[in-house]
Amino acid sequence: MNGRGPVGPPRSGPVRSPATRRAGGDPLIRLFHVSKSYGPGSVALRDLSVEVRKGELVFLSGPSGAGKTTLMKLLFAAERPTEGQILVLGRNVARLGERRIPALRRRIGVVFQDFKLIQTRSIEENVALALQVLGRPPREVRSKAFAMLRRVGLQHRRHELPAALSGGEQQRVALARALVNEPAILLADEPTGNLDAELTIEIMDLVAAAAARGTTVLVATHDQALIRRYARRTLRLAGGRLLEDIPGGSI
Amino acid sequence: MIASFHQIVYFVRTAVGGLRASPLPTLVSIATIALAVVPLGGLLIITGNMGALLHRHGESRQVTAFLDADLTPDAESALARRAAELDDVTRVELVTREAALERFRERLGGGALLDALEENPLPASIEVTLASGAARGAAAEAAAAALRALPGVEEVAGGEAWVEGYARALALVRSAGLALGAILAVATLLIVANTVRLAVYARRDELEILALVGASRTFLRVPYLIEGAIQGTLGGMLGVGLLYALFQIAVPQLGDALDLFLGWSQPEFLSSARSALLVASGAGFGLLGATLAVARTRVS
Ligand SMILES: Nc1ncnc2c1ncn2[C@@H]1O[C@H](COP(=O)(O)OP(=O)(O)OP(=O)(O)O)[C@@H](O)[C@H]1O
Ligand SMILES: [Mg+2]
Repeated sequence: MNGRGPVGPPRSGPVRSPATRRAGGDPLIRLFHVSKSYGPGSVALRDLSVEVRKGELVFLSGPSGAGKTTLMKLLFAAERPTEGQILVLGRNVARLGERRIPALRRRIGVVFQDFKLIQTRSIEENVALALQVLGRPPREVRSKAFAMLRRVGLQHRRHELPAALSGGEQQRVALARALVNEPAILLADEPTGNLDAELTIEIMDLVAAAAARGTTVLVATHDQALIRRYARRTLRLAGGRLLEDIPGGSI
Repeated sequence: MIASFHQIVYFVRTAVGGLRASPLPTLVSIATIALAVVPLGGLLIITGNMGALLHRHGESRQVTAFLDADLTPDAESALARRAAELDDVTRVELVTREAALERFRERLGGGALLDALEENPLPASIEVTLASGAARGAAAEAAAAALRALPGVEEVAGGEAWVEGYARALALVRSAGLALGAILAVATLLIVANTVRLAVYARRDELEILALVGASRTFLRVPYLIEGAIQGTLGGMLGVGLLYALFQIAVPQLGDALDLFLGWSQPEFLSSARSALLVASGAGFGLLGATLAVARTRVS
């Protein structure tokens, strides 16, 4: 079996799916007048205020340099805002102490365009990492990693190295690693940027399935076709500003 | 963060994997530590043996008073009793002229030379043991003076001059050892720090990924600290091993030259406690070097 797990069809109707019903809950992510500049003349985000609720799947769109990656980096505390406050899972990330960052990241899964897999470790080990850093016992690590790899349909390749896998497969491994902890939030920065149309759907279906299970998901993408296909809430950025906050189902 | 058993296993495996991934820098690092341990350990051996000698002879706390040759045995005994009443004296032994001759014979094995003499040339003596603490310096001199002042005492020999000189030489060797030790320690630190920094650099992608999935600082750093400690321990053990080999080769070769320092006593290698201490300090410096390296490398 290729075991991609319980993946529903892309939702295109008006938003009243289970996921969005849960979205009536608490905002898991809130930004208040957030600005980020990397130095004089390099302003990545300007006065951004936005809220994302539990279980929402939100696209971040916008041209290159719009600030999508920067926004995600702020959320998992890889960068600090120059101004404004950011609340993620009840923590003020703008002021989070260095030592408290790991605890935040354990509740946030991240996926990148370039997969970021450790090339010298097997697929299974790559997925297991996210559990190992928590100090979980090896039995639990192995069984959870196996179950997660089965969910993305790669359990039979778990002993291979990342280089032996295609781009789409590698991204599925990265996704498995991001989700194996059952994080509250999944951040995917151009997760399909290196993949062809068919693999893009494959990955996005897994991402949407995570949202359907209650994970709050942000997906940064250039791909307008993808945004149309899934028809979810979309934040349109340009030049570091939020141009539009388009609700799901209206695209 | 309190590490679980699984994490410790993970740390050690990661550390060993890291060392094996870059064998050359690792070997250079271990060899450097070993080469630092050899001269340091060598100095420890020298000071250890010198100290032991000083203890055996210099600090045996003996002052010998040689008596006039014409004293009667009763007068000799009376003198010994008076000597016993002096300050700082804990023990007195009277060595009669006959006993002195007997000792002399024993030491020289036979003593045909003495047999040729008609009369025993050796004086009787009182061997006085001073209280510890009075063995050197003013107290010893005062005791010697008091003995000298007794009627019937011809000469007093304490050997203080020799002891002082030797003790001073030992102190000199010790401080030279400390200075050398400091220099070698710094060199060791730098080498280990550099090796560990290379290891961190080689695995920066992996560290970035680990940080992304929420690895704590401790989790990221501990394997490198273990790497440093392993290098230090192996270097220390190699150093002590080399030193032992050198010791076995050098001692018979040096022979007479050693006698000069050690006065005919058989030189001894480091005690196992000191060897362990050397290995432990190798480990300690490895750990410290690694700590320096990771403290100066931003990981996140
Ligand atoms: N580390 C950095 N140092 C300096 N400037 C940066 C840095 N990262 C991003 N920038 C600048 O910030 C702006 C926003 O960059 P960001 O990467 O967030 O855009 P993006 O929307 O993700 O673009 P892309 O679609 O190309 O990935 C750009 O002008 C970029 O040059
Ligand atoms: Mg980007």
